[in-house]
Amino acid sequence: METSSIDEIRHAFDEALKSVEHKKDLQDLKVEYLGKKGKVTGLMKEMKNLSEEDKPVYGQKVNEVRTHIQGIIDDTLEKFENEALEAQLKAETIDVSLPGRRFQLGSPHPLSRTIEDIEDFFIGLGYRVAEGYEVETDYYNFEALNLPKSHPARDMQDTFYFSDEILLRTHTSPVQVRTMRSEKGGGPVKIICPGKVYRRDSDDATHSHQFTQIEGLVVDENIRMSDLKGTLQLFAKEIFGPDREIRLRPSYFPFTEPSVEVDISCFNCRGAGCSVCKDSGWIEILGAGMVHPNVLEMAGFDPDKFSGFAFGMGPDRVAMLKYGIEDIRNFYTNDIRFINQFKPTEDGGVHNESI
Amino acid sequence: MRVSKEWLKEWIPVEASIDELSETITRGGIEVDDIIDYTEGIKNLVVGYVESVEKHPDADLLSICRVDTGGESNQIVCGASNVRADTYVVVAKVGGRLPGGIKIKRAKMRGQVSEGMICSLEELGVPEDFVPKEYQNGIFIFQEAYEAGSDALEALYLDDQVMAFDLTPNRKDALSIAGAAYETRALFGGEVKRPKSPLTEVDGEDENFKVTNEDAEAVPYYGARIVKDLTITPSPTWMQIRLIKAGIRPINNVVDISNYVLLEFGQPLHMFDKDNIGSEHIVTRFALEGEKMTTLDGKERALKDNDVVITNGKEPIALAGVMGGAFSEVSEETTTVLIESAMFNPVSIRQTSSRLGLRSESSIRFEKGVSHEFVNEALDRAAYLLEKYAGGSVTGNIIYDGELNLKNSEIDVTRTFINRHLGMSLTTDEITRCLSRLGLSTDTDGESMTVHIPSRRDDLKIKEDITEEVARIHGYDQLPVSLPEFTRITPGRLTDEQKKIRIIRRQIESLGLSQAMNYAITSRSKSVEFTNRTDGMELLMPMSEDHAVMRNSMIPNLVDNATYNVNRQQKNIHLYEMGKIFINKGQGNLPDEIEMLGGIVTGDMNQTDWLGAGVPADFYAVKGIAESIFEKLGVIEEINFRQTEGFKEMHPGCTADILLGDERIGFAGELHPKYASDHDLGRTAVFEINLDRLLSVKQGSIVYETLVKYPSITRDIALIVEQSVTADELISVIHHANAKYLEDVYVFDIYEGENVEAGMKSVALRLTYLNKEKTLTDEEVEAVHKPVLTALEEKGAAIR
Repeated sequence: METSSIDEIRHAFDEALKSVEHKKDLQDLKVEYLGKKGKVTGLMKEMKNLSEEDKPVYGQKVNEVRTHIQGIIDDTLEKFENEALEAQLKAETIDVSLPGRRFQLGSPHPLSRTIEDIEDFFIGLGYRVAEGYEVETDYYNFEALNLPKSHPARDMQDTFYFSDEILLRTHTSPVQVRTMRSEKGGGPVKIICPGKVYRRDSDDATHSHQFTQIEGLVVDENIRMSDLKGTLQLFAKEIFGPDREIRLRPSYFPFTEPSVEVDISCFNCRGAGCSVCKDSGWIEILGAGMVHPNVLEMAGFDPDKFSGFAFGMGPDRVAMLKYGIEDIRNFYTNDIRFINQFKPTEDGGVHNESI
Repeated sequence: MRVSKEWLKEWIPVEASIDELSETITRGGIEVDDIIDYTEGIKNLVVGYVESVEKHPDADLLSICRVDTGGESNQIVCGASNVRADTYVVVAKVGGRLPGGIKIKRAKMRGQVSEGMICSLEELGVPEDFVPKEYQNGIFIFQEAYEAGSDALEALYLDDQVMAFDLTPNRKDALSIAGAAYETRALFGGEVKRPKSPLTEVDGEDENFKVTNEDAEAVPYYGARIVKDLTITPSPTWMQIRLIKAGIRPINNVVDISNYVLLEFGQPLHMFDKDNIGSEHIVTRFALEGEKMTTLDGKERALKDNDVVITNGKEPIALAGVMGGAFSEVSEETTTVLIESAMFNPVSIRQTSSRLGLRSESSIRFEKGVSHEFVNEALDRAAYLLEKYAGGSVTGNIIYDGELNLKNSEIDVTRTFINRHLGMSLTTDEITRCLSRLGLSTDTDGESMTVHIPSRRDDLKIKEDITEEVARIHGYDQLPVSLPEFTRITPGRLTDEQKKIRIIRRQIESLGLSQAMNYAITSRSKSVEFTNRTDGMELLMPMSEDHAVMRNSMIPNLVDNATYNVNRQQKNIHLYEMGKIFINKGQGNLPDEIEMLGGIVTGDMNQTDWLGAGVPADFYAVKGIAESIFEKLGVIEEINFRQTEGFKEMHPGCTADILLGDERIGFAGELHPKYASDHDLGRTAVFEINLDRLLSVKQGSIVYETLVKYPSITRDIALIVEQSVTADELISVIHHANAKYLEDVYVFDIYEGENVEAGMKSVALRLTYLNKEKTLTDEEVEAVHKPVLTALEEKGAAIR
């Protein structure tokens, strides 16, 4: 049985392989040897000329060559593909220091942040957030708050009027009155009222004809002034830091009796005296007091049975103190270089202090 | 109210330093917001006796003075024109200092030695406004003789500090030295010494003089005294300086005494030139509507029927509590005065003074109500001082009409009430001690008490007022700290709407818009932009044209914000604002307040420059932002955008109304290119949405659906339609064909140009079919898809 042609083909393939440089050459080689009209296929055609006992031996030899060639072609192909992939990956290497595709982020307004922080604190104490009209009646803004038309304290708040009876609210207190009325004389009432308020002031670094306010109101059967002090002390520690203390000073508001101004110990100098607290160690931050019996009565609560406390503060002032903002008009100018500073998340800091 | 420590000490002995005094008074409830220290920066200031004055040989405006400064005679060159020999003056000696860091040195002025300086009041730190006319632009000259070389600050009553009280409206009692003294007593103890007025009443021809109050509501009490044989001169130095320290400029002895007594007791007085009143009868009443009078500033005033006037029985001689009349005022020639000490209707005084813009030391006291107990005391005091310092004789008694209520009022309160209100456990004794320090006496009966209130504290009316006095005198530092014990536990939470507002804010900020906050009061011209409404709510008295009307739309402010930023080298401005607009329902009615969301996008969004990638500020950008909000709120299925020409500020081809169901709840679109360029803006898109309407849609909980196991089949359709046909119209035709299994339709390509006839466009849509029960076959899809194509063809679409 003549098998030298098989060895020749194998030898020829091995020789040809040496000159293969591209995937294309390899494919041509594959066709040349293993294709339908290929050399190895041609060998099989010789089978019919062989004796029955030679056929298996011959066939086995041809298959060996086929397997040999197929294996080499597969390996070489894989090698070429790996090389090509590697080249591609190398070509695709990028400069990771270039900016990412931008998904821009807007910033909340600093007053929104401040108001939300304060809201969340009181929600935690079981308060609800009550909102109301910005254009109000004289009755809800003044009279129901123990400020009849002839009251000299009306001068404390210069008011924008639309008519004798219609005005822009000067505080968010009308919301308190409306809420109390809707409760129809039953407690407890626990609300905070954030919102915009308006006063006839000339705009300058510390005055704005429009600003924000948050007032709180608690009415129930046995509310004491010590509860007011406790609540505001908790507030000061939560919002301004655990080391803060508060101090009450007598004051006057027509809708509360007794009335107090509430100072917090200065978070900047911790009471030593600095420019933030004008060297006093204390910063005036809230007005507060026990709800005046006339106010309770006008809102439908029996002042002999119910008592309550109320407090109010200005988020504008809180934010100015907290961030050291020098001019209240910055809040309403909407310079994006200003607003966008208030983008990042805030936390308690390493010392667990809000400020 | 400015309170001099030296003056206060004459009323009540208090040894505390000015800082301690101020701090304690502030903590007690009267804020001392400034301390003026007249000794600050002053050294070596003595009284000098001017022995002689000669002209400077080489300078017309200078004088050479020989001044005795105590045991030595110095030559001092002085530039003041009022310097004269035989006077006592203030001399800053060589080595001395004056406020503002001025050091006095031996000097030569135009060749003449000058050893020291003769001072003006301004040089001692007195504001020019309070310096008497005779000393303005000149040196100060004492009214009396002093020992040369003695401490000039002491002689001037300026060895002193003054506290400026920032009074709350309820503390009218502290608008006087008397009130300051009683407050000081409450805080420091001691006894208040009121000044005496040992006047001598002489008989006179004026005993027939009468006072009549026609209306007790206008004038409940009017008291008067007549003082004759007066000489108008400057008042004594101590009185002048006390007035100056209180912020009142001295004029002459009669006027000064009137002001001095006002400061002492808080009781305003008026001095008439009695000979010019024109009758022997004072009649007080409300003015007649339209009645005219000329006030002492020479202005003719038209009066209203709630003004109170003092008349001579025929015509007004003074506008009560506000201003005197022209012909009855005290002049240099006055020899007899009528002193008025009265109570006037506080509301009338307030209205008159604010209407005429005449607020004075008198009117601010009358409008808060004066104390009964000081009305006659002040009258006597002024008469006495006129007798002593103006050489007058007081004729007869007080002439008066009306009644003073000199009885104390009473307030009943219990210990339990006070303690329950404060959260304290004070004893009755502790409570009465606090009250007694304020000069309030108390009768106690067990735990009940009756507190007696003198008229100077008639601001105390109810038991809560007593609670406050006890708390502040006891000290708020003593108030314990507790938390409320509620009758019922209520959870704290936000309403659905408040939660959604927060969600929208986070969402829109994540999309790159920053939050703006603008003024709701805007200009008339801006109030009619981006709206059909032309009648904004107008302020009665706007402070400026820019802030006169309530806004009707959020967009004009946002456009201004964009312009402001663009003009400050910021390129890409993306802002939103939440706030109210105000729909006028008539000036006398509350408007409809609507919570709106407005947004503006100018310059690319998500711009990555080096990739050349970004989202342009076009209609589709703001539509996409709005849609993301609608999707978050779960209402996207109910929202439609409908082409509209919009407002004249908008691009008529790139604007849409936003519909929730059939209701218009806002708009989105691009600014009109002309409007944009007028505002220094390039291509800019805006949107505005009625949040109240949007948030009123209730969603309930999410409804979960099981995932479908079977595959869907898609069919693409390419249609040729007229350019004016909208995508929504085509989709609506498809939906109306009611094809079974149709899950979704969307536009994936729009093409105009080559191969498409002019005026036409090609729209490619992809339809997705799904049977949730089993796998769909091509035949089943074909059967339902064919009618869709037919429907489109019937509507004039050509299928490619």
